Amino acid sequence: MLEALGLVKGYGPVNALDDFTLAARPGEIVGLVGHNGAGKTTFANIVSGLLRPDGGRVLVDGKAPGAARRLLGLAPQHIALYPTVTPRETLRLFGGLQGLRRRELGRAVTEIAEALRITDFLDRRVGVLSGGQQRRVQAAAAMVHRPALLLLDEPTAGVDPETRQSLLEVVRDHARTGAAVVYTTHYLPELTDLGASIAVARHGRVIARGEAGELLHGLPGEVRLTFDDEEMRVPTTDPAATLATMLVEATKPVRSVDLSRPTLDDLYRAVVRAH
Amino acid sequence: MRTDLPRRLALLVGHNTTLRLRDPGHLISYLVMPMVLMLVFSPLYRAALPRGGEAQAVIGMLVMFSVLSLSVVGTALLTERTWRTWNRMRVTPVSVVEMLIGKALPVFVLLVVQQTILIVFGAQVVDMPVAGSFALILSAVCVWSFALLAIGVALAGVVRSHGELAAVCDVGALTVSALGGALTPIAMMPAWAQAVAPASPGYWAVTMLKAAVAGEADAVARAALVLVAVGAVAGVLACIRIGRGLKELQG
Ligand SMILES: Nc1ncnc2c1ncn2[C@@H]1O[C@H](COP(=O)(O)OP(=O)(O)OP(=O)(O)O)[C@@H](O)[C@H]1O
Ligand SMILES: [Mg+2]
Repeated sequence: MLEALGLVKGYGPVNALDDFTLAARPGEIVGLVGHNGAGKTTFANIVSGLLRPDGGRVLVDGKAPGAARRLLGLAPQHIALYPTVTPRETLRLFGGLQGLRRRELGRAVTEIAEALRITDFLDRRVGVLSGGQQRRVQAAAAMVHRPALLLLDEPTAGVDPETRQSLLEVVRDHARTGAAVVYTTHYLPELTDLGASIAVARHGRVIARGEAGELLHGLPGEVRLTFDDEEMRVPTTDPAATLATMLVEATKPVRSVDLSRPTLDDLYRAVVRAH
Repeated sequence: MRTDLPRRLALLVGHNTTLRLRDPGHLISYLVMPMVLMLVFSPLYRAALPRGGEAQAVIGMLVMFSVLSLSVVGTALLTERTWRTWNRMRVTPVSVVEMLIGKALPVFVLLVVQQTILIVFGAQVVDMPVAGSFALILSAVCVWSFALLAIGVALAGVVRSHGELAAVCDVGALTVSALGGALTPIAMMPAWAQAVAPASPGYWAVTMLKAAVAGEADAVARAALVLVAVGAVAGVLACIRIGRGLKELQG
């Protein structure tokens, strides 16, 4: 569905993309992670046809991005909405421009509004909505026409946990219908929740690519036991076994147990070290 | 698909009409202010001119404020950049030409409505004599609105910020309308100003609209020809400019 090969893009002296290669199959969710300035947004803009790469090539369903806009849904990193119209008008506009017809359009708007919990403020002006509410409208506008390739650039920046969950659910469902999704985030647990495969970008290049399980396997997490008067922390790559051992060896009553999963930081460090 | 084109255009026109109507401040002030000024200045023009004093007051103010309305066109295009919606729209099957048409049509209608209301106000309240037919006057209004719109789009392609736009529009509007004879009748202007007046589109607008109100079809046609030419040149410049802007964006 998406095939990007050896993309190069420079802004003056800055190499935003430097041999950036990434593909996504139908039904696959690719979690694109990487530090600030790694080139994630530049990549999304090239795939959307907003930027032309200096080198390399992109195909969306075998077509150049400009010719594939009908297949595409983009939720940009920064809010890009008309503040003086309502979410309902926004969704009808984008859905309509993407080719949805009357009844189909009405149904699509209602469905995505319910799924992303924007029904309550469908008829207020976008400009007066909170940041998180605007985020939801932005994601809904990208998905209302059920695009075959969905690009979400940090869609959960600044949203509450409940909204995050509903968004993840909608994205998962959407991928299940056969769409390819590229999902940019700085928050690793979202990607495990999505069952996404992971691409780690660094300095304009994808330096690690694989299933979450493979990439996260062997990364140190941490087991933490709290007693009345002290706390024990043990780094581990096998939390279950470590916890069992610690519990067996504990000589005092245990007040609480914490398992922390590896974070994005742990992943970066491991990948960069291996690279 | 090509068959979707009319539907997309209808959507864009509807959307842009909504945007204009939800932000009506400029439009209202550019309708009310010329009315007030017409009333205030018409005694002066009536005393200064043996004939056509009312027409001078009405058409002069109409031309000056329709040029000021250019800022509405420019603002409409600039805010899309500020809101980031211009790029967002480009990730839909809409083409740049469709977007521009979707923006231009509602503004064109608003310009025509503004000028029509001002002429009716002039005839009814300021007692401007009207000999021309409705069709003749409406054609003149449409030609002038077209020329304005083309100039506005060309300007919006050149200016980079709202501040620049406001400066260009204010200075430009006053120069164009003053030189064009919207404030002082041409015959009363200094010789040098009379000599350069035809370089101002405002001159042709005043000439054409006065002729339309007086029912002089030949004079309307001559001035209209000049304004259509000006509009066409501005339109071509705008397209070149916007085309180049897109290339820059895609770098
Ligand atoms: N329009 C631009 N002009 C100049 N430099 C740019 C432009 N857009 C991006 N860059 C540079 O290109 C590099 C990649 O930026 P990009 O926005 O793609 O990063 P990102 O991975 O999306 O970062 P973030 O996580 O902060 O969103 C950065 O060094 C950035 O400064
Ligand atoms: Mg980014």
